[in-house]
Amino acid sequence: MKPRSPIHPWLMLGPSLAAWTLFVFVPLGLAAYESLFAWDMLTDPVYVGGANYAAIAESGELGRILGRTLGFSVLVVAGSMALGLGLALLLDRPGRFFAFVRGAIFSAYVVSWVAVALLWVLLLDPDRGVAASLLRVVGLPRVGFLTDPRAALVTLAAVTIWKITGYAMVVFLAGLRSVPQSIHEAASLDGAGAIARFRWVTWPLLKPTAAFVATTSLIVSFQAFDVVRIMTGGGPARATTLFVYAIYEQVFMNLSVGRASALAVVYFLVLCVLAAAQLRAWHSQTVGRRA
Amino acid sequence: MSLSRRSFAVGASLAALGGVSGCKRALRDDKGRVRLRLWFSLGGRNREVLLEIVKRFHAMQDEIHVEPVYQGDYFESLAKLRTAIAAKAAPALSHVVAEVVPYLARASTLESLDGYPGMKEIPLVAPLAQSGGFRGGGEKPLYGIPLNRSTPLMYCNGDIFAKEGLRPPTTWRELVDTAKALTRPGARWGHEVPISWWFWVALVGQAGGAVFDEAGRATLGDEAGVRALRLWQDLVHREKVMRPPPGRDYDAWNVVNQDFLGGRAAFIWTSTAYIRYLEDNAKFPVIAAPLPKDVRASVPTGGTFFVVVKQAPDEEKVAAARLLRFFCETEQAAYLSTRTGYLPITTPAVAKMRADGFFAKHPNDDVAQAQLASVDPWPWEPLLFRIERDIVDPRLEEAVLLDRDAASVLGEARALAARPG
Amino acid sequence: MSLRSRRPGLGASLLASVAAAIWILPYAWMVVTSLKPLDEIAQDPTAPFPKHPQLAAYREVFELVPVGRYLLVSLAVAVAIGLLQLALALPAGYALAKLRFVGKKTAFALVVACLLVPAQVTFVSVFLMFSKLSLTNTFSALVLPFAASALGTYLVRQALLSVPDEIIEAARLDGASEVTIIYRILGPLLRPTLVSVFLVSFVFHYSDYFWPLVMTTDDTVRTLPLGIALLKEPGSGVRWHVVMAGNVLLSLPVLALFAIAQKHLIRGVAGRS
Repeated sequence: MKPRSPIHPWLMLGPSLAAWTLFVFVPLGLAAYESLFAWDMLTDPVYVGGANYAAIAESGELGRILGRTLGFSVLVVAGSMALGLGLALLLDRPGRFFAFVRGAIFSAYVVSWVAVALLWVLLLDPDRGVAASLLRVVGLPRVGFLTDPRAALVTLAAVTIWKITGYAMVVFLAGLRSVPQSIHEAASLDGAGAIARFRWVTWPLLKPTAAFVATTSLIVSFQAFDVVRIMTGGGPARATTLFVYAIYEQVFMNLSVGRASALAVVYFLVLCVLAAAQLRAWHSQTVGRRA
Repeated sequence: MSLSRRSFAVGASLAALGGVSGCKRALRDDKGRVRLRLWFSLGGRNREVLLEIVKRFHAMQDEIHVEPVYQGDYFESLAKLRTAIAAKAAPALSHVVAEVVPYLARASTLESLDGYPGMKEIPLVAPLAQSGGFRGGGEKPLYGIPLNRSTPLMYCNGDIFAKEGLRPPTTWRELVDTAKALTRPGARWGHEVPISWWFWVALVGQAGGAVFDEAGRATLGDEAGVRALRLWQDLVHREKVMRPPPGRDYDAWNVVNQDFLGGRAAFIWTSTAYIRYLEDNAKFPVIAAPLPKDVRASVPTGGTFFVVVKQAPDEEKVAAARLLRFFCETEQAAYLSTRTGYLPITTPAVAKMRADGFFAKHPNDDVAQAQLASVDPWPWEPLLFRIERDIVDPRLEEAVLLDRDAASVLGEARALAARPG
Repeated sequence: MSLRSRRPGLGASLLASVAAAIWILPYAWMVVTSLKPLDEIAQDPTAPFPKHPQLAAYREVFELVPVGRYLLVSLAVAVAIGLLQLALALPAGYALAKLRFVGKKTAFALVVACLLVPAQVTFVSVFLMFSKLSLTNTFSALVLPFAASALGTYLVRQALLSVPDEIIEAARLDGASEVTIIYRILGPLLRPTLVSVFLVSFVFHYSDYFWPLVMTTDDTVRTLPLGIALLKEPGSGVRWHVVMAGNVLLSLPVLALFAIAQKHLIRGVAGRS
């Protein structure tokens, strides 16, 4: 429709655009600018050009952070999607009990990360936690869930999966419910069993939903911070220093604004690349179908 | 939601935003007292003692009202202080880890206390004060007043040592042998210590080295530094008599304490700050001993200094100086030390405690006092803190946990320390 | 419709019970621990029930942390952000959905671009911005950066696309101003979407740990998650009963909201009900 006055659209978009310019786009540009300086906020900034980028690349620091964050994200996305889909299929049944279980699982997504992280630190205490005593009961050796550099990252991924699976489950449930019953019935009549029905009927129709869940879960897991800060502080031996935590550390522990900005710029670019790649991959699988 | 309700809600939110934002902080409260902000990072009993002293301060005067704010542990608190200084929103008074005082001073963020009445005359115990805690500290302007000062100390499980007929080790060789004798694989470690810069510096000093040389270069102890690191690595990986504690920063210290109390570690190194805590919670006699020596005895100092922030309003800074003088009064200094186990910071306080028979009743505190003779001061080096936190500490943890070659790890660290910015 | 409308078998119920255990037992543990005295936790950490349940931990939380004040700040921030976002998303979504104008495609692209820039990339610059204006540790620093929600705008636009143009044209003929159309006519029509957007935003910002952590340096506008996280004091042994009591207090508002408004939250998250 035509606007009543040509400035109307801009008045309506104005406040939002102003907020985004001020709080999203300008800071993004400023971050790129600041990454060319060495600055500790207390003394004057010193221009260093690409030295910040060189420093984090040379020392292998950037590569390690990237590797850890990607590994973590892959684990979280794969785990939460598989579990989410499985739980959606399992719990898509009528009745109060199943509704209650669905609610319980989703509630973990809604609760604060502070609460979840503190709770799991207690549960995963290697000597006195519930998880440790379960291991003892079954006869398995002691595991330093958060204290062994080899186990810590996987542990954080597992806790993250616990928290966000509810999200994947809920989205898959919505997707499942949009598959018309008639198609299932037609497939049944054709002699397809439950598994075949899933593979050839349900799954193809679910792919757009799966793409949506995968992309959003990837972005969310790439932003992981609270879980690291509260559960491991980036350790042990930096095994859980993920991207956002590294940025935070550079600003608040090392007071190295330039270094932090360089990390932030790289982080943003990687995020864009990942999101684009993932969308393209799923898009090619679902060509012809629009969500 | 109707238009009027919605616009009311939006309007109210904006009003609230406007109301709370941008109003300048009032210097005086409604009773006309100067509001003194104190940011602190002490927990548990130490926090109670600090707040008790603040209460006493309020009881004895009416011009100043202290507003203490808890900010987390030392490092979180320091991060907030630095960003607050950058944001021009810093409090007048806070306390920071000793090693960071030179850095803050060089960045012109600290107020020199020389000009405030009575500050220079406070009879501080030299190794705990700026004058003895730092090389040449007495020649610099006075920036820090000790709050809670400590040194590393060795604690031995009295029952275990008595049963095995052993005495606390006095040399590195004895340390290794004692740890070997007391280790029971699967049940008990002989020795445990947080893998941390502080204790490594102690070892470096004992091996005859120093982290910075006379010219101010970060040598990281050269050969002594490597020997110190190798000692830990051997104890953990070859002799298998020492457990490297897990966790970051003070979580690791907590584990060491709990292992000691639980009888899972026969003797530990940790701070004098835990004397009271360990004595109170152990179900066995706790025997403190000075750290063993190698070529010499050496301990660094730790804990924090009160600092006054330059950018705070003048009246608040004057108030801060008054509070600091109160903290240093004999009564208060003795109270803080006896209740927490931190070393008494003024000579009259030490004398009072001795006269009151405190050290007779608490021989462990006396051991800590005597060990002050072996204190090695820190260099007055602005890069000290950054080298500690950023470069050395993470590498120590890595080197011990993963048994990386000590010489190359420290060589790496030395190279990074030599790079500016 | 769903795949299974017949009665669930034993296997499914069993698996569902396992799932329920995995997701509910941790909460139960949280509550149980908060009621135990500290020595019970030290001596028998995995006992499923406290021998002498007590509320001392809760009392201690209230002593150590001004729970009421922090909670009020958290709620105020979350509500303010939610309302501001709705107030801004409606006109913006309307313009993008219903009006033809030059630059519309660019504006829409900007909305989508915003979705990709997370707070962690912008926080340093925003912090410096606020500190130059002496606005750190203020309500504004916690609220204004989130006043406009790209996601909210996008969802409002989607919802408006399926509203027939005739309604707007009729209102215009009646002489209604654009503001009236947006807020008094379309707003109520979009109520389910708006409620969901508000709730999702509320829950996120109430629980936000990162932004208040990096925007505040003292406790003037400290939020509850920060206050509870500080309960985990280092050094002399973690007082788990106190930390868990803090956790319970932190989670209660959100869980209560969840119990009441589950459907709307799910719709907000899943994009469709």
